[in-house]
Amino acid sequence: MIRPPAVGTAVSGAEATAGPLPSRAADARGIALAAAALIAALVLPAVLNTYYVRIITGIFLFGILASAWNLIGGYTGYPDFGGAAFLGIGAYTTGILMLRGHAPFAAALPAGCILAAIAAAGMGALLLRLRGHYFAIATLGFMLVLRQLTANLDITGGGSGINLPAASDFTVFYYWMLGALVVAVLAGFALPRTRAGYAIAAIRENQDAAQVLGIEPLPYKILAYAANAFLFAAAGGIYAYWLTFIEPLTIFNIDFTVQAVVMALFGGPGTVFGPVVGAVILKTLDVVLTNISLFLHNVFFGGLVCLLVIFAPRGLAEIFQSPAGLRASIRDALRENRV
Amino acid sequence: MALLAAAGVTKLFGRLAALNRVDVAIEPGEIVGLIGPNGAGKSTLVNLITGMETPTAGRITFDGADITGRRPAAIARLGIARTFQIAQPFRNMTVRQNVAVPSLFRAARASGVAEALDRADGVLDLVGLGAKRALPARALTTPDLRRLELAKAIALGPRLMLLDEVMAGLTPAETDAEMALLRRINTQGITLLVIEHVLRVVMGLCRRIVVLHHGTKIAEGSPQAVTSDPAVVAAYLGVRHAGRDDAGPR
Amino acid sequence: MSPSTQIALQNAVNGLLIGGTYATVGLGMSLVWGVLNVINIAHGAFVMLGAYTTYWLFTLYGLDPFATLPLAGAALFVLGYGLQRIVINQVIRASFLITFLLTFGFDLLITNTALAVWTADVRAVTTAYSGRSLHLGPVIVPAIRLMTLAAALLVAAVLHLVMSRTRLGSAIRATASDQEAARLMGIPIAHIYALTFAIALATAGIAGGLAGMSFPIYPAMGANYTFIGFVVCVLGGLGSVAGALLGGLIFGLLTTYAAGWLGPNYDYIVAFSALILVLLAKPTGLLGRTVRFRG
Repeated sequence: MIRPPAVGTAVSGAEATAGPLPSRAADARGIALAAAALIAALVLPAVLNTYYVRIITGIFLFGILASAWNLIGGYTGYPDFGGAAFLGIGAYTTGILMLRGHAPFAAALPAGCILAAIAAAGMGALLLRLRGHYFAIATLGFMLVLRQLTANLDITGGGSGINLPAASDFTVFYYWMLGALVVAVLAGFALPRTRAGYAIAAIRENQDAAQVLGIEPLPYKILAYAANAFLFAAAGGIYAYWLTFIEPLTIFNIDFTVQAVVMALFGGPGTVFGPVVGAVILKTLDVVLTNISLFLHNVFFGGLVCLLVIFAPRGLAEIFQSPAGLRASIRDALRENRV
Repeated sequence: MALLAAAGVTKLFGRLAALNRVDVAIEPGEIVGLIGPNGAGKSTLVNLITGMETPTAGRITFDGADITGRRPAAIARLGIARTFQIAQPFRNMTVRQNVAVPSLFRAARASGVAEALDRADGVLDLVGLGAKRALPARALTTPDLRRLELAKAIALGPRLMLLDEVMAGLTPAETDAEMALLRRINTQGITLLVIEHVLRVVMGLCRRIVVLHHGTKIAEGSPQAVTSDPAVVAAYLGVRHAGRDDAGPR
Repeated sequence: MSPSTQIALQNAVNGLLIGGTYATVGLGMSLVWGVLNVINIAHGAFVMLGAYTTYWLFTLYGLDPFATLPLAGAALFVLGYGLQRIVINQVIRASFLITFLLTFGFDLLITNTALAVWTADVRAVTTAYSGRSLHLGPVIVPAIRLMTLAAALLVAAVLHLVMSRTRLGSAIRATASDQEAARLMGIPIAHIYALTFAIALATAGIAGGLAGMSFPIYPAMGANYTFIGFVVCVLGGLGSVAGALLGGLIFGLLTTYAAGWLGPNYDYIVAFSALILVLLAKPTGLLGRTVRFRG
């Protein structure tokens, strides 16, 4: 696995390394592992029963969301809390095109992604001028606006939502989610290695310094934001097809985004596989908790978030891989962050 | 024609005039010094030239073109580089990556990543940071961070460099080395505007000095002329003679 | 007086009345954000707790809702002190993202525990005087709403006095402006932070009690109030009582007029548009201080 960076200072809560990782060997190891995981993922549905396939599809969903969030929140340092807006755009566009336009899924989904990217570019041109806190709140506001809009308009079925045609069998969703996840991870891998990726890292690290070195920040921020939106929409479209029913309150929900953020942070922000690892761990925990008590699993998750934030703010990978040991790294984190 | 000309530049913060109708012209190839007590407006002038702030009044032209109020990134690409008084590295990127950034962005389609990284190596060797290229910038000492600032400015490939107190806190030997480096950069065709408190540097490097005080230009001329100007001496209460080697006026 | 003028006047009155509650909701959030640099996404959940405190004291013991306000405030004060001192102080110097996530964790915990304990049934606080209104000339002023506004103004006035005239207020403001310097002057930071959060939560509790008298009470109600708090903070600027008051009143007027014009289902859109406009034009809010460089 590609290792997350060593201890650094908090810039925006996402201690991230820019640019290509220094070690070719680490790259090669990571790629080999990823290839192995991909092959395993491709054959799993043939081996496991549907219950587990569903769970893993859910993990893929959050893997996409976490990786996508990482592009804007981790790499660029703009913590987006309204990602579910794009999830919803993808879901509703796919749904409406399939239901009323009788389009096949394979056409409806990309349409949703592109629409979301355009919306992100438009919104981003306004919102990405804002600083961290305000950006977070404004994006949240955007999500709430879309929620209210879809609840009020007829084309989206108003408060009752819309139904989608059913698919042939469950593995359709599994493979689409896997495909989208591969795209998300590839985006996370490619971006830091490109010229745009350097701009984004520089902007995250020090926007003023980046500007006097020839980087005009807004276009690059919009790029990251639109990429994030595209991927959220992909996940949303597939999710809508899977659920066959979407309505405003469930899809335009900050829970999706917060889970994505928590997973990205705890797997290791600014790394390629960190968000996916975070998704796997936290989603699995979530499933286990749900089985213990359906009713209280949110309470447990809330408590878990609090504990993780206090004791492992730099992510679980950091904690477990720290050379000084688990307790020492927890102590260090506390010493750095407490009053 | 002057490379950089600031005409009647005024900057007000509320009712405080950080700069008041300042005229400065820098000819190509010069090394011009900008001195003045703290709060004189030196950094403000640099901020205005580089586009980080907009003047309340006045015009700034670079190579004949009006750059007043243009965006910082555009001005950087026109060929004006600056260092910051407090170094502003990209902390979590390596030294090499830090210097690659200006290489990548100095023109709209400047270069690829690999090419920029190679070019960065050359610049790092020039400033003496070659050995530390793979370290993350946050691991550098303050003098090294200053060198990194300089390296990034050089890597932008500018025609004009605005240096904001790059010599502060250096030993005499280090100061000499930096001065030699700046002279070398200058002979390669880069015009320099040097803000400094260290008088020895200003006297030794600059052919011409501009003195600011409370936002106005109070003197301009050769180092000897300026440092014996009674107005300048009065502005710097702590200086009794010109040409002293210490840290300079406070 | 023409009907349209009357409607406009009534809207203005309604807007100001509701604005008082909004301001009280925003007060606590503004204090925490301005002093502790923490965006408390669970703020609405604490408002909810205040509402339920008022509800249960009223339903079980027959206390007048306005009389329960100090009790709700006190209970949340204690809770706030404990939370800050024991939990939030552990991450207070971390980035805003970390503290934001922590408060999100609180929100999950509190909202879902409330859901488990009190069920999703919607409650209401209805007193003998709930339906009464005053007729002041052409406008109708519901008694509850007027008393709510009065209570809100009282809370704001008290908070302002505390912040500007007491040693505690000075300590809080000093800590907000320069934590290191405050520490060097012997101010016990951990304690001051805890008191700040306690005060903020107390106002949230009172806001909840006030809201509960006019609006439905249910565990998930917090989210709306959190968003209201955000908008009030952004509109009015952070860290000042006057800002929260102004923000709240303006927001109250805005939503009332928008509801009259667009219908009640468009309030988020109105709020968001106002939010964006203010953020783009004056990011620090109407009464906040200006920022420097261009972005």
